[in-house]
Amino acid sequence: MTGIRSKKFNHVFIYLFLIAFIVLTLLPYVWLILTSFKTRLDAFSMPPKWIFSPILSNYKEAFLDKGFLLNLRNSIIVTAFSTFFSLIIGLPSAYAFSRFPIKGDRILLYYLLGTRFTPVVALALPLYLIMSKVGLLDTFVGIVIAHTTFNLPFVVWMMRGFFDMVPRQIDEAAKVDGCSWPRIFLRIAIPLSRSGLAATAVFCAVNSWNEFFMALILTGRGTATMPVAVPGLLTPQGTLWGQIAAVGTVITIPVLIFAILVQKNMVKGMTMGAVK
Amino acid sequence: MKSKRKLMDYKSLAISFHSVTFAVLTVITLGPLLYAVWISFFNFRLSVPGGEKQFIGLQNYIEVFKDPNALGSILTTFKFMIIAVTFEVILGFLLAVAINSLPKHQKIITTFILIPMMVAPLVVGLMYSFFLNPQFGFYAWVISTFHLPLPLSILSHPTGALFTVALTDVWEWTPYLTIMFLAGLQSIDTESFEAARVDGATPWQTFRYITVPLMIPVITVAIILRAMETFKEFDKPFILTGGGPGSATEVIDMFTYREAFVNFNFSYAAAVCVILFIILLICGILYGKFVMERGEK
Repeated sequence: MTGIRSKKFNHVFIYLFLIAFIVLTLLPYVWLILTSFKTRLDAFSMPPKWIFSPILSNYKEAFLDKGFLLNLRNSIIVTAFSTFFSLIIGLPSAYAFSRFPIKGDRILLYYLLGTRFTPVVALALPLYLIMSKVGLLDTFVGIVIAHTTFNLPFVVWMMRGFFDMVPRQIDEAAKVDGCSWPRIFLRIAIPLSRSGLAATAVFCAVNSWNEFFMALILTGRGTATMPVAVPGLLTPQGTLWGQIAAVGTVITIPVLIFAILVQKNMVKGMTMGAVK
Repeated sequence: MKSKRKLMDYKSLAISFHSVTFAVLTVITLGPLLYAVWISFFNFRLSVPGGEKQFIGLQNYIEVFKDPNALGSILTTFKFMIIAVTFEVILGFLLAVAINSLPKHQKIITTFILIPMMVAPLVVGLMYSFFLNPQFGFYAWVISTFHLPLPLSILSHPTGALFTVALTDVWEWTPYLTIMFLAGLQSIDTESFEAARVDGATPWQTFRYITVPLMIPVITVAIILRAMETFKEFDKPFILTGGGPGSATEVIDMFTYREAFVNFNFSYAAAVCVILFIILLICGILYGKFVMERGEK
């Protein structure tokens, strides 16, 4: 009896700890979102205001007057294309790692890991110099290539694990029915691992959407993504906190929605490899 | 005989499936990297016309090892790494153990825990610079209301700034370690726990002598992974401190950025990149060995 009671007490304690942790960590983020709906006066008031009449003028000023609508469009273009190309180019190799083990696999995997862990600057600098020579600076092609450098290895690494989860008996059955390997790959393996594929796609999209360094160096006026345009709101006349908060909210909310939709498989994909 | 033919088939299939992926990967990653190595031996900088073709051998590398700013930024990166990774591992482990012990609601709590990881690093930096603003930030209000013994403008204090930037990293990446450790905890065979219970082990003994030893490999992987990622730290210090005060938070990527894109010393920055790459390659080989060997078991 006492055992059960102490266990219950323990659970209450653990819930309290976790909830306290969540509240404490999410506080700055919630604060940012609230600020985006505040007037200048409310935003800077001391003590901080929790209750206020929300306004949308920060969003209007940032997206319509300051032109963040264009940056939003650019972010969508870059994210969509880099995710799409990374998936198209990366999937066959991921499948081959899962189904056609060969001797050189290990070297290829090390190569893949190597590119995944290459420091961003070490790639950004030569890419910048090469692209400035061939005229790819401030173009969507340039920044999409740059984002593919980190998304492509990621697709192969993560999808290899998801293809491993597709039972091999299905391949055998399809082979008996006279299906060729490319057909099995396209018609059976990909549809069967669609939830893993969705998680991988979301993860790539998030990487690209949130990316700042490459975009800072390789994009220009016409192609700047949202993160790159944000520091422009830190003007010498003062920082436009309300608008920064509005843009910050628009950058983060879609990511959160998509991430929650594919949470289970994303967690699986991210912890794969570390935990076997 | 048959199995040999099957293997042959696999080989040509494997080659055809891998070819496009690795061809593209080589062009967009290995190619540029080799170009960086190439220019690191030249005197390519904006202030020297024609320096692009002026071969100077290892001069840039020698300069890096003589440059107090470069060495300082490497030291700062290591300090940053130690602070951030220590907190991330301890907090992540505590959270994972706590979540794992819950009878239900694990998924919903994990969802909330994961949120910081999805926030763009740049936005994390902005968010904290607003939160920590000495005039109107929430932090300043807490400090002055509760009379806490902390500096009001923590970002203008060298040690405080480094800790703050590291803590923003802890804020963002603890969730990753939490889900990794949680997956690790859940993959432990329940039989081991059963056996311990039958033998009359206390919960603490079970934790100390079964859970922790079995988690060591996962923790090691997590430490290597996060340590490598801290070498990519740029967005948060860039927006939060700009590397300051002084050079207290100038991590290696900020230093390289300044050399390459503010001072336009391309060859010198390339040399720093190559050194950085070698450091990470060593970490990467360690990580790869670890992950792949475990994968084969």
